[in-house]
Amino acid sequence: MTSASIGIHADRPANLDLVRRLKDPALLLLPALAFLSFIYVLPLIDLIRISVSGPSWSSYFERVFAIPLYWDSLVRTMQISVTVAGLCLLFGYPTALLIHRSRGMAQVLIATAIVLPYFIAILIRTYAWMVLLGRNGPVNKLLVSLGILSEPVQLLFNRGTVLLGMTAVLLPLMVLTIYSSVARLDQSLPRAALASGAGPIAAFWRVSFPLTLPGMGAGFLLVFVAAIGFFITPTLLGGPGDQMFAMHITQQADSVTSEGFLQALGVVLLTITLAVVAVAGRFLGFEFIWGGRKLTENAPIPTDRYAKARHHGLGASAADLIGWPILRLFGRLPASCGTWSVRVMGGIVIAILILPIIVVMIISFSNASYLTFPPPGFSLRWYEQFFSDSNWMRAFWTSLIVAAMSAGIAIMLGASAALGIVRSSIRGKSAIMLFLVSPIIVPPVVLGLSLYSLFLRFDLVGSVFGLAAAHAIGGLPIVVVILSASLQGVDARLEQAASVHGASALTVFRLVTMPAIMPGLAAATFFAFLHSFDELVLTLFLSSVQLKTLPLMLWGDINYRLNPVLAVVSTLEVLLVIAGLVLVRPVLATSRKAA
Amino acid sequence: MGEPAALRAMRSGDANVRTSRTGRLREGDAIGSSIAVREAVKRYGSFHAVDRISIDIEPGEFITLLGPSGSGKTTLLNLVAGFQSLDSGEILVDGKPVHNVPTHKRGFGMVFQSYALFPNMTVSQNVAFPLRMAGVDRATTERRVAETLEIMRLTEHATKSPSQMSGGQQQRVAIARAIVKRPKVVLMDEPLSALDRRLRESIQIEIRDLHQTIGSTILFVTHDQGEALTMSDRIAVLNAGRIVQIGRPLDIYRHPTDRFVASFVGESNLIEADILQKRGSTLTMKNRAGYVFCAESRDTIDVGRATVLVRPERIAVSNEPTANSVPVSVTSAIFLGEILRIEARMESGEPLLIRCTDMANRPQPAVGDRLHVSWDAADCWVLA
Repeated sequence: MTSASIGIHADRPANLDLVRRLKDPALLLLPALAFLSFIYVLPLIDLIRISVSGPSWSSYFERVFAIPLYWDSLVRTMQISVTVAGLCLLFGYPTALLIHRSRGMAQVLIATAIVLPYFIAILIRTYAWMVLLGRNGPVNKLLVSLGILSEPVQLLFNRGTVLLGMTAVLLPLMVLTIYSSVARLDQSLPRAALASGAGPIAAFWRVSFPLTLPGMGAGFLLVFVAAIGFFITPTLLGGPGDQMFAMHITQQADSVTSEGFLQALGVVLLTITLAVVAVAGRFLGFEFIWGGRKLTENAPIPTDRYAKARHHGLGASAADLIGWPILRLFGRLPASCGTWSVRVMGGIVIAILILPIIVVMIISFSNASYLTFPPPGFSLRWYEQFFSDSNWMRAFWTSLIVAAMSAGIAIMLGASAALGIVRSSIRGKSAIMLFLVSPIIVPPVVLGLSLYSLFLRFDLVGSVFGLAAAHAIGGLPIVVVILSASLQGVDARLEQAASVHGASALTVFRLVTMPAIMPGLAAATFFAFLHSFDELVLTLFLSSVQLKTLPLMLWGDINYRLNPVLAVVSTLEVLLVIAGLVLVRPVLATSRKAA
Repeated sequence: MGEPAALRAMRSGDANVRTSRTGRLREGDAIGSSIAVREAVKRYGSFHAVDRISIDIEPGEFITLLGPSGSGKTTLLNLVAGFQSLDSGEILVDGKPVHNVPTHKRGFGMVFQSYALFPNMTVSQNVAFPLRMAGVDRATTERRVAETLEIMRLTEHATKSPSQMSGGQQQRVAIARAIVKRPKVVLMDEPLSALDRRLRESIQIEIRDLHQTIGSTILFVTHDQGEALTMSDRIAVLNAGRIVQIGRPLDIYRHPTDRFVASFVGESNLIEADILQKRGSTLTMKNRAGYVFCAESRDTIDVGRATVLVRPERIAVSNEPTANSVPVSVTSAIFLGEILRIEARMESGEPLLIRCTDMANRPQPAVGDRLHVSWDAADCWVLA
């Protein structure tokens, strides 16, 4: 009797438990995790497996490091990446300050000048630099007309153009990362420094600057990591002496003989990237990758390192002798010194980001049969040619379809995952978030290489769905980041209020949650679409002769002939991005405020 | 209310002695500056945040800018600090215009609402910052910082980072940083509003004592009338970008110039009444309920309608009718501890707020009870 009643009582909680478990929002994470496991983790594991499948596990790696070509290229890649990250930091910081300090319309314009290029395909922005610096380009024309050059010279295909192009391409990433940390700074701090007798520039160096160091670190590392895996820009702008590591992988990809060795190259690149990210994450917290704050409310990190007595001995006398006097000297400089250096540096950055785009847009209306600036006259002939060329149009439609499918996959998986991560009380949220976002970090070349074997095995090469799914690997993190931010912005008390007053879980979602995240959803859809629409590197590995996307056509044409049709495509892309940005502007504005 | 007059007199005498001394900031002779604001105007678009404000602040005075949010008090403080520039008018410190002097050269100390402690520096580095920027050498800096931390009872926290401290401690660090240079002027922008009530009261007293020790001119901004009454030598009440009234706390409380001040500072009953007769400074008045009473007033009041301020604690309550009392019915009675707060209604329908001290023989009235209230002529104040 007693045992039976115990049995019944024990039964009920178990049933309830099951129901509760099935309702656990953490389950919403499963689709995205399954998707990534199959199409992202599995291929990477396979990549590593092949790389160690030689006679001995290290034989392919020994070859990589034994051949001077690859070793030199690795060193060169590091040099270029550090230089680019340094340049971005040097110019990006003043630009972030410029955005922060300007007001009203000026701020909107400057921010747009930074954000717009950020969303335009790297391929197109690189192409714009080729146009700008080409033999008949505006820079050569200007130098000749000023009498500095007697005839146009080859400005392209050297280390300088690689650095310039990569810096220009990566600057928006740096500016936006630093801006979010500058904007987070409590504005009464610089005021307190002023009120304490520090001049504006001294206040900046002693207070604002040190407090934005984490933002600078995050920006530097993000740019550095992106630069290591760079492939498009150095290929198009560099000369034979500027080969970067990622370029070897694409060049070798066609030859079957290099299997194993090729994967070893990929693993080396991946390892370096992950090592840099791991070290960075150790100091900055891995949130730096997606520019967010911790998902769980943690206590502020105690800043013990400041507490350590450091005002005795050599350091102290150095500070007395040099540090403070210099700071006081800085303090004497009028505020206008700082203001003007910020304006000049920011102005240079805006020019570097916007001028190439404007030049390309103007050239698209040229009536000349070759690339020249300024155009001898204006016509729509290149637009006509673009829209009447069946190859271009087919590629255009393919891109649209792939991008739409990819955005659909990314949104469905990403929205569900975002709900799961924000609403569940699952442990290890940070680790899961890191995993969901990690595809951003993996060099696209490595991802493409690893996917290639998977696609071969499942006969997906050249399939629209396969390509869309591959693009969704990169689209998913974008969706997760945007949507989890907007979900966190939804006041949980509003949802509680709705359910207290009798709304069912589904009604709460429909009436409270959905409207609140709608703008975020729109933005996420757009960016996931754009990500796929612009994607080139994965496509290079996974497409076939029948399946050509717009970026792939562009890539082929840029390598063969530089004609104004490319400028037409670029102009259309710029218009697409502008339209999209106008659409999602409210979201950007609010997320910037939140940041 | 306020501090003893003797103490005040002593201190102002003291200040006079110190004014006659010369020399720059040496220890011990920190004295306040006079601040004069003349016809100051600050606009944001068509909105006048500060609308032709003039105010003269004596050296060493503790003056509070009191007003609701949006009244322009913080803007005025920012103008004095130099964070914003005047659209017209001028600000003089010790008789010299400061509009061309940037903030960091004005030599003021300032305490912020959000504390604004530099998170990248320890407590002692925060406090040392103004001295180092002024070029004071390390030995002197360390001594002055140690002294100041001791005054603020922070000595054992010297090597902590601000984020490791409680709100009250952080605010004391912020005050230490503001006074370490012994500035002639200390600006305080709602420094206590982020603290809980008990902490607020203890720091109020600390700031007032500090003011008496260092003798700086303190310009204090708050929206809390209690804070203003406890701490200030004088209060300037602001509304909609203008100074409505300026005076000693007692004057502001007892003799407000208009309805805004009367209702913003302290609790008040504003009773509409007709002036029946005027004899010298004594008016005979009758309110809508027919209650005839006398009120003291200034000479300027003419016969006609007027608004009379009767503070809730000045109203005498009894259960039986007395000579010249008016009946009211209780609408709510709340026991607050030492005080019984009664809301009642006169027969005319006008509400009346009463505060009486708790006494053993006074039962708590119930809703609907009839009480008889009265007040003396001296307890009324006729508003212009």
